[in-house]
Order: sequence, then structure tokens, then C-alpha cells
Amino acid sequence: MHWSAALLVALALLGAATALGFVLRARSGRVVVSRGGGADASTAAAALGVEPAAFGERATLVQFSTALCSRCPGTARQLGALAAGTEGVRHLEIDLTDEPALAARFAVLQTPTTLVYDGAGRQRARIGGPPRTEELAELLDSLTRRTRVQS
Amino acid sequence: MSRAEPTAIDPRGPRFSAAITAALLLVDVVLGLAGAELAAWLLLAALALLFAWGAFAGVARHPFGLLYRRLVRPRLAPPAELEDPRPPTFAQGVGLLVAGTGVVLGALGLPLAVPIAAAAAFLAAFLNAAFGFCLGCQLYLLLIRARVIRPARPLAGSLR
Repeated sequence: MHWSAALLVALALLGAATALGFVLRARSGRVVVSRGGGADASTAAAALGVEPAAFGERATLVQFSTALCSRCPGTARQLGALAAGTEGVRHLEIDLTDEPALAARFAVLQTPTTLVYDGAGRQRARIGGPPRTEELAELLDSLTRRTRVQS
Repeated sequence: MSRAEPTAIDPRGPRFSAAITAALLLVDVVLGLAGAELAAWLLLAALALLFAWGAFAGVARHPFGLLYRRLVRPRLAPPAELEDPRPPTFAQGVGLLVAGTGVVLGALGLPLAVPIAAAAAFLAAFLNAAFGFCLGCQLYLLLIRARVIRPARPLAGSLR
């Protein structure tokens, strides 16, 4: 291949990588509304392998992490603070490092992945990547039926 | 794999290293495609050695990481938060695997493997440097799901 052609291929590679980066960034952290699957809190808790008592009264943020996830600790702090500041909302962090079956059951392809359950134990949303705080706060408001003061 | 907490690092260090690595990998793609086969192979071999350094000694001791600490970090504000060095260290291992495959196949008489491996490694390094995505870290979960990586502790002790 000629030098100019090789340079063009490299430029195309750079362009493709940039485009991929923008696509990933646009999708990362979006709150994707689920179809409300799952029957009740105890079924949802059993599927996740946690005690039903660990679920929140109004909503539960279930965060999937692994031991080697650069952005999971930050997400855990973010979701922990959100849960602490919203009544009836709990945050659960599940380490998938030892749970390949759980990762397969919930089709987790990236960490952190966050599932949002309502008070009845139905899955209401799924978030891949560190959640966008504003979008998640809006969803939690609708789940906890609490209106926020517009700033 | 150790579960002991290692010293936290400035997350901008690995991204700085990834930027230099990505630039060199892109140069390697051009060299490999333009027919400078020996130069491309030597550069990829050098980069594979750097990946090995990062993977086995840890990202904190990677030469580009040391460069960051000496020259760049003193000029910047302190980081907003520190980060666990294990995910980027694991990603260095993934980089070693990709670059190493290209080096071995290149030595076996497949010169096109060198720019292809360099292009794959470039994609991961570029996304890390420019967008903060750690593809190597995400691969860890997929390897767990494929049961390539075995749980570090037996499941018998777990309630789940």
C-alpha cells in the first residue's frame, strides 16, 4: 500500500473511533424505561439473590459491579447519596465477579449497570454506565410521587 | 487476584498514558500498511513490552505513568477523586494480549497482523484517552460471563 493510502486508512480509523466514542457517550448513563416486568418484590429479590427486606418501600436501585470496574465505586457513591436523600429508596450493589449466572440472567454486558425497581418490585428502568443524575432523579420522583421544586 | 486495596491513583494518569499509546499505535498502523514491515513490527513489539510493564508492575509504575507524575500532574489541579489502579492494570493486560498476538503473528510471517493488531489496540486506547471508556475493563465482565475467569473465591461460601 502506498504511504498516502496508508495515511488515509489511519485517518478513517481515527474518524471511526471518534464516531464510536460519541455513540457510546450518547448512550452511556441514559435511563431506559423497562416494560415493567416481574411480579412482586419477593420474586424480584429472589431473582437477584437478595433478601426482600433489602428492597426499598418506594424504589430500589440495583447496581451491578465487578471487582475490576473503574467507574463502579463512583456510581456507588452517587446512587448511595441519591437513595439516602430520597425517602423509601434503597441502593443495592451486587458484585458480579463471583456471579456469572446472575450476569447472564440479567444480560449485563457492562458495569456499572443499574436496574430501577418500583415499590411493587417491578423493573421500571435500566441504565448502562454511570447514571445521569438528572434523568434518574426525575424517574425516582415519578416513582415516589414527589414533586420537586423547579429551580 | 488479590482483593487487598492497593494505593489509589490519579485517574488522569492512565488516560494520559493511553493518549501517547494511541498516537504510537496509529503511527504503527501507517507503518504497517505502507510496507515498512520491520519498523512496524519493532514499534508494536516495543508497545507490547510497555503493555507488559503496565500489566505486571501496575499502571502506577508504567513509564508513561511516571512521565505523567513527573511532568504533567504538578501543573494540574489535584484530581476530583482517586481511582482503583486494578481496572486499568487489567486493561494493560488486554492490550498486551492484542499487541502480543500481532507481534507473534508478524514474526511467523503474517506482516498484515501487525497493523490489524495495532488498529484494534488503538481503538481501545483512543476511547480511553478521548472519552474515558475503558474497553479492557468492560471485557473483564464478558470474560466472567464466558467463565474464562473463574471466581476468585469458592461459591460455596456465598449465599447467592
